[in-house]
Amino acid sequence: MNRNDLFTRDKYVLLDGGMGTMLQARGLKLGARPELLSITEPEMLTGIHREYVQAGADIVYANTFGASAKKLEGSGYSVAEVISASLACARRAVQGTGALVALDVGPLGELLEPAGTLKFEDAYRCFQEIVIAGAQADVIVVETMTDLYEVKAAILAAKENSTLPVMVSMSFEQNGRSFTGCTVESFAATAVGLGADAVGINCSLGPVEILPLAQRLCQSVPKNFPVFVKPNAGLPRADGSGYDITPEMFRDAMAQYLPLGICMLGGCCGTTPQYIGYLAQITKGKAPQDTKPLQRSLLCTPVKTVDVCDVTVVGERINPTGKKRFQQALRERDMDYILAQAVDQESRGAQVLDVNVGLPDIDEPSLMEQTVKALQSVVDLPLQLDSSNPAALERGLRAYNGKPIVNSVNGEESVLRNILPLCKKYGAAVVGLTLDQSGIPPKAEGRFAIARRITEAALAAGIPREDIYIDCLTLTASAQQEAVVETLKAIRMCKQQLGVRTVLGVSNISFGLPCRTYLNTAFFTLAMYEGLDLAIINPSSSEMMAARAAFRVLTNRDAKSMDYVNAYAGMTTVSTLQAAGAAAPAVQAAAGGSLGAAIEKGLKSEAKAAAAEMLKTMQPLEVVDGHLIPALDRVGEGFEAGKVFLPQLLQSAAAAQSAFEAVKDAIAAEGSASESKGKIVLATVKGDIHDIGKNIVKVILENYGFTVLDLGRDVPPEAVVQAVRESGAPLVGLSALMTTTVKSMEETIRALHESGLACKVMVGGAVLTPEYAEMIGADYYAKDAKRSADIAKKLFGVN
Amino acid sequence: MKILQPPLPKELDAAQALRYMGCTQKADPATEALLQKAEALLRPAAQPHAVWMECPVAELPLQNTGSDLARHLQGCENAVLLAVTLGSGTDRLLQRLSATELPAAVAADAAASTLIEQLCDEIEGELRREYQARGLYITGRYSPGYGDCPLALQSVFAAYLDTGRKIGLTVGSSGLLLPRKSVTAILGISQKPVTGYRAGCAHCVLQKTCQYRKRGVSCEQE
Repeated sequence: MNRNDLFTRDKYVLLDGGMGTMLQARGLKLGARPELLSITEPEMLTGIHREYVQAGADIVYANTFGASAKKLEGSGYSVAEVISASLACARRAVQGTGALVALDVGPLGELLEPAGTLKFEDAYRCFQEIVIAGAQADVIVVETMTDLYEVKAAILAAKENSTLPVMVSMSFEQNGRSFTGCTVESFAATAVGLGADAVGINCSLGPVEILPLAQRLCQSVPKNFPVFVKPNAGLPRADGSGYDITPEMFRDAMAQYLPLGICMLGGCCGTTPQYIGYLAQITKGKAPQDTKPLQRSLLCTPVKTVDVCDVTVVGERINPTGKKRFQQALRERDMDYILAQAVDQESRGAQVLDVNVGLPDIDEPSLMEQTVKALQSVVDLPLQLDSSNPAALERGLRAYNGKPIVNSVNGEESVLRNILPLCKKYGAAVVGLTLDQSGIPPKAEGRFAIARRITEAALAAGIPREDIYIDCLTLTASAQQEAVVETLKAIRMCKQQLGVRTVLGVSNISFGLPCRTYLNTAFFTLAMYEGLDLAIINPSSSEMMAARAAFRVLTNRDAKSMDYVNAYAGMTTVSTLQAAGAAAPAVQAAAGGSLGAAIEKGLKSEAKAAAAEMLKTMQPLEVVDGHLIPALDRVGEGFEAGKVFLPQLLQSAAAAQSAFEAVKDAIAAEGSASESKGKIVLATVKGDIHDIGKNIVKVILENYGFTVLDLGRDVPPEAVVQAVRESGAPLVGLSALMTTTVKSMEETIRALHESGLACKVMVGGAVLTPEYAEMIGADYYAKDAKRSADIAKKLFGVN
Repeated sequence: MKILQPPLPKELDAAQALRYMGCTQKADPATEALLQKAEALLRPAAQPHAVWMECPVAELPLQNTGSDLARHLQGCENAVLLAVTLGSGTDRLLQRLSATELPAAVAADAAASTLIEQLCDEIEGELRREYQARGLYITGRYSPGYGDCPLALQSVFAAYLDTGRKIGLTVGSSGLLLPRKSVTAILGISQKPVTGYRAGCAHCVLQKTCQYRKRGVSCEQE
């Protein structure tokens, strides 16, 4: 077989069976590395490969599953040596048979960020090393993956360092999710988008359990896209003596897969050449059947797949335009502020989040990457990367885990040329604005013409039609009243004649007119009726969300009005609510007493209301120094005295934080710079991801008016040094919660001393003691968050 | 080798969770409510998995793993290696709360730590019953990091149990188990009644900062 014939679908392609279990049967010891046998017992390996070829396998997976740098550490052999030897064993077995050799790429064995400590870029480098060492293979198979981010790193490493075909399979549990929560559909959408040549499912389950998952996979890829399966020989027996399916049962179960449209099949753990022989029998003389894909427009993160088949809400609030506080947060790289916006929009029903971090004076590419990584560590919604800067888009696209949408391209040739290839490479869907260098066409026909051009360019670039979203542009009714219906007409034309999806930023329509909500909801409803698919709105607007909910009832999409009833039963209408709500904050502020009382009691919304009330008559600084901080001091003293415990301290801190937000808003609105009592760099050291303690310290320090640069978790010493150098912060706080990572703390302190920067270091964490802190060169030992605030106050000379 | 997907313990040991949260005396109603809220978030997010296998002690590389473990396994020719995790969904919840709702994060972290210990107790109890039915006894569980047993032994246990493939559990470069709320342990099997010898305070790394010692008790007694 020629590697070019792999996916022609004129016959089934047979994969091999289990290797690990075959080796164990031949004496491989527990905990030993199977890959080393390619060097110490090459004949045994070649023998097993030969058995599979004789049984009918068209592809044998070389013995390279665990041949990564980390897994081979301490073995005495390099990645290149092991891979070279393993490929040679396989090559000898297929000599003269026409079977192909696959470079088998398994998981690296370390969890990627954000849940783990392995950076995406480092995972890429590990896979790059493997792919380059495996250049002599005929095909690359990435298998047994459970983390979609790791899948992405592997596919990119393969596509960017090799021209071999790339097959990718993940392992799932019976609930259709991998161990890290990735769904079958998210895997399909992402892997196909990144350029995999075939996708599949292997390991973990037997053929009976995998069948429904394989069906979902076949439905989620383009028509007749190659799909393969490699199940285990059933499930492990309760008595631990092996797997519970006989070769005959395996054969019968695998026959059920043929109608789904798969084109390659094999076996995994527990299977032997006999199992493969049976697969040869049931596929002999047959050709793969057609798949029956569902035509869907998907956007996804690993755990959440959004099917854009109904009006889908894109939250618009992560955007600095016209928002002083937001602009400040971006300049300070205040990820917490952005995360709070994201979580709030999610709680109000946003299904996708638009992410725009473009400001003229900042490093947008770097900020886009940082923001994407931060968001996807906390929010599960797919993202719409909103930028006109191709470099920023590329950084965001590369860092994104799943299938995103790019906002946007337009009719200009140069824009299409620069951005469409990026979308294609990273499997992103794309928004196309119906404008070009001549501006925005006044009539629907003009906008439609640009839409057609964009669609054709996208299709030519290899982007499928279901990933194209046309934005017919919302102008303002106040300035271009006659153009409103043109937008609506253009939406209908695009839906009917181009078969693409449509998107709109709705709120523009009412700019410059009073009671904007009335116009927004009416226009929104009209647009939905014309076929709007993605609506970029503010999900905090209950009227807009209600308009969508009502539309879905009226068009019979919300079956039996269940969603509507669940959302609105027992509620009064918005206008009545507003009248009642207007009175509430004043009532709260008056009844709750002072800001101090709200903070001491840990009441968040009362504290915010009280602060807002105070800011009407007092200077921000007076609110902070005269009321907020004294309240915190009282709570802190209670904590030290053992009368107030950590949860209460945190509730109070959260209330103070909320009040502080009101203060910051007031300061930003005034346009004045906020006063900082001093800068402090915080980090959880390299190798450690425990950050609750550090986050508590951060909140307390911020509440006391310090500017905290939070570097996050698993921070290498160099990054801490750089942050101190760039910010001039005189105090660094380091956190570590494991005995092993206290070493990283020591290294970080040493790096700071060697850098010659004038800064003091305070350390904290459950395993630390004052003696140990002194031993590793720290200046202060902070036994808890309150102490860290005391240290900071003393150092900065604050009362 | 046996792979399990055990249910979460039915009732959270709230007193233990509150202790993890720093409440050494009776907690106020607001704190108890916080813990309840955290538990309600945690239960749907957790997906417990466990894997265990029996193997001869002689086949394990325990040469340089301290005197406490050796004492614990005295008289045991075979051992059970055990790994348990609350899954990646738990970590995602904790990470999200840590960034957005710190009080709830502290409570959820404490609840998760409590639940996995309770789950290990339940699995250990089940194992003890199974072995007793075969006329054998097992010790209590001993985890790497106790006493003078190095944390690095975790990687060995994880490799033997193939925890990556079987239950999605990995060990980071600093010995960090991921997902975070996970446990690896060894239990000795003997023909005579044994309890094992978990650790002495004398050798323990947390000797100077231990919350239990400060209260005059030991983790063994709790």
